Amino acid sequence: MIDINPKNILIRYNILVESDMTPEEVAEQLFPTDPHIRRVAKSVFEGDEDEVVAGLQKTIDSGVDPLSLINNALMAGMEVVSTLYDYGLLYLPDVIISAQAMIEGIEYCKEQSKQVHESKGKIISYVVEGDIHDIGKTIVTVLLRANGYDVIDLGKDVPVEEVVAAAKREKPIMLSGTALMTTTMHAFKDVNSRLLASDINVPVVCGGGAVTQDFISDYDLGVYCEEAADVPKIADSILHGLNIRKLRDTFHKH
Amino acid sequence: MSVKRYSSMEYDNFEDLLFGHSKYPVKTGLDLEIGAGYTTAEVNYAPRPDAAENKAKLVNEYERITRDIMERMVQVGFPSVVLETEHVQQMTHNPEWGADIATAQKAIMEEYHDEYGIKCALRHTVGDVRGDRESIDLRGDAYSRILESFEQVASSGADMLSIESLGGKEVFDHSILRNDMRGVIFSVGILGALDVEYIWKDICSIAKKNKVVPAGDTACAQANTAMFVAGGLLDFKLSHSVASVVRAISASRSLAAYEAGAIGPGKDCGYENNIIKAITGYPISQEGKGSTCAHSDLMGNMAMQCCDLWSNESVEYRGDFGGTTVQCWGETLSYDCSMMNTALEAGVGKTLRDVLMVSDRYRDPQAFILSYDNAYRIGEIITAHPDDLYLRGKEAGIKACELIESGSEGFLALSKFEKATIKKAQNDLKSLDEDMESFICNCLDTYSSEVETFNASNYGL
Repeated sequence: MIDINPKNILIRYNILVESDMTPEEVAEQLFPTDPHIRRVAKSVFEGDEDEVVAGLQKTIDSGVDPLSLINNALMAGMEVVSTLYDYGLLYLPDVIISAQAMIEGIEYCKEQSKQVHESKGKIISYVVEGDIHDIGKTIVTVLLRANGYDVIDLGKDVPVEEVVAAAKREKPIMLSGTALMTTTMHAFKDVNSRLLASDINVPVVCGGGAVTQDFISDYDLGVYCEEAADVPKIADSILHGLNIRKLRDTFHKH
Repeated sequence: MSVKRYSSMEYDNFEDLLFGHSKYPVKTGLDLEIGAGYTTAEVNYAPRPDAAENKAKLVNEYERITRDIMERMVQVGFPSVVLETEHVQQMTHNPEWGADIATAQKAIMEEYHDEYGIKCALRHTVGDVRGDRESIDLRGDAYSRILESFEQVASSGADMLSIESLGGKEVFDHSILRNDMRGVIFSVGILGALDVEYIWKDICSIAKKNKVVPAGDTACAQANTAMFVAGGLLDFKLSHSVASVVRAISASRSLAAYEAGAIGPGKDCGYENNIIKAITGYPISQEGKGSTCAHSDLMGNMAMQCCDLWSNESVEYRGDFGGTTVQCWGETLSYDCSMMNTALEAGVGKTLRDVLMVSDRYRDPQAFILSYDNAYRIGEIITAHPDDLYLRGKEAGIKACELIESGSEGFLALSKFEKATIKKAQNDLKSLDEDMESFICNCLDTYSSEVETFNASNYGL
């Protein structure tokens, strides 16, 4: 068997660009300074659900409004996670574990308050009809919830009728659909037509497996998304007033 | 059919692993012999999305695809080709559709074989339609439809039978997104292997009855999911080292098809096939740089190291500058095969194999553990535990961790995060239960409550 030093045939760019600091060291610089809030944010980062609830309880006992902790502590902790994920310092499972801890914390805060917490916006998430591959949808749903959105998760293999009915009923700011196969992704077309026929002009963000930007660009409501991590950014952009044309200008990469 | 557990390697030495050569070549189709001293392109395709509207339209689509490929092969002078028809759902749900398509394809292939003598064979990969929106029912009506589909394509012209089975996917998807190695071992090593064994006993019976080849399964729904989620070097969705460990474990799952009677060639998307070939001696199909029409990976050259069929994974049928897509990719694959076959004719096959392997060996931990020497070492661990699905999955995972760690002391450069994740995976694996009984018992408790679609009765548990 031959063997060689590979230095002249490949470059590990990921190693070249990696930070000298550990994720924990970077996170320490980003957590809120208030000690109670910091404790909660840090436990979200660590994905420690029990510690999240304990930290929240302690903070609420000190007189802080439970609902304010959703944005100021839980979402603040999650923002550190999202920032480090965007920097390439954390992996997706880290985000998912933190998001679960955050969601647990949000539920606790809601239970502790008599007022209603307003999410950033409502989004419908689904896998197209005929397709049971839902790992992409799971990732997108977690990332959206982690960014403060209320996600109506319709699940997998969702009939077009049901997607359209949910859009009429829930009045979301956008829909997020995934498809693995070329043979199922045509369901995007039917959803698009049916929404337009009902005068519902919300962006339908599409991605997954065989889905291409060209394919999605053919539909009036279609916005193609290559990376799951871009979906919350698209949602944020919608809140900032970007229409479908501008979303395509911003997020269509090819 | 009885199950034969592999307790030793069919290859005595990893140095004997080579493309175009397998210890037990497989004769199939029209004069084709796979692994008998030459490599052959395996062209894989998907119909255009609107072609599946009805049976007539779909049959016509596959006739066009088949004729295009065969025509290009003879136009450029290639001696052999394999066509792989991966069923769209409509074909498996309506077994007569698959049968009519197999009949139509085989008729065209026979025309070309009769006129030009081109060696060729047709693989049909039936869709695993056992999951629906609400649940996964691995042993109910959908299973019967799958078997009926196999029966019909086998009796209508398909030369090789395959499937990419779903067993274990529900627990796997849940586990991999949480870095849960226990769930990975349970879903891939136990649930997946049990399902593969179950389904392949029946497929092998159908193949035997129809005198066609039971060609093997892959862990596409698990190991490839991990590989794709892991992505490229600058992606941080999943540790590549963890994806490598999943791949090693997946070999014990794919092996179950051979233990139930499959003889290969294992399907192209089973990157674990290098391990399978080392264990069983049966030929394999592989995909790499010729499958960038379908996806990107980090071992485009290396995947060729031990292949017997060389595949493009799948390409949607449409026009391109150089012809239709199946013609373009079929031609590219066949030129690759010409290169490998020339090396074999010239007696420098092993040199080319090493060049292909070493060019990617240090690109990524996934490539490193599938380099033929390391693939062989993982095979040795699996065969050391022939009667214990749990131990062979767990020990394969631990071995992959050890290989990656030792590689990182040499030229296999790992980021500090990859180092941390491989250490964690290793510790997690080592801390698992001692024996299969307690492991399964604990996992049933955990995943029955955590994974909505997990139903133990699907696996006979």
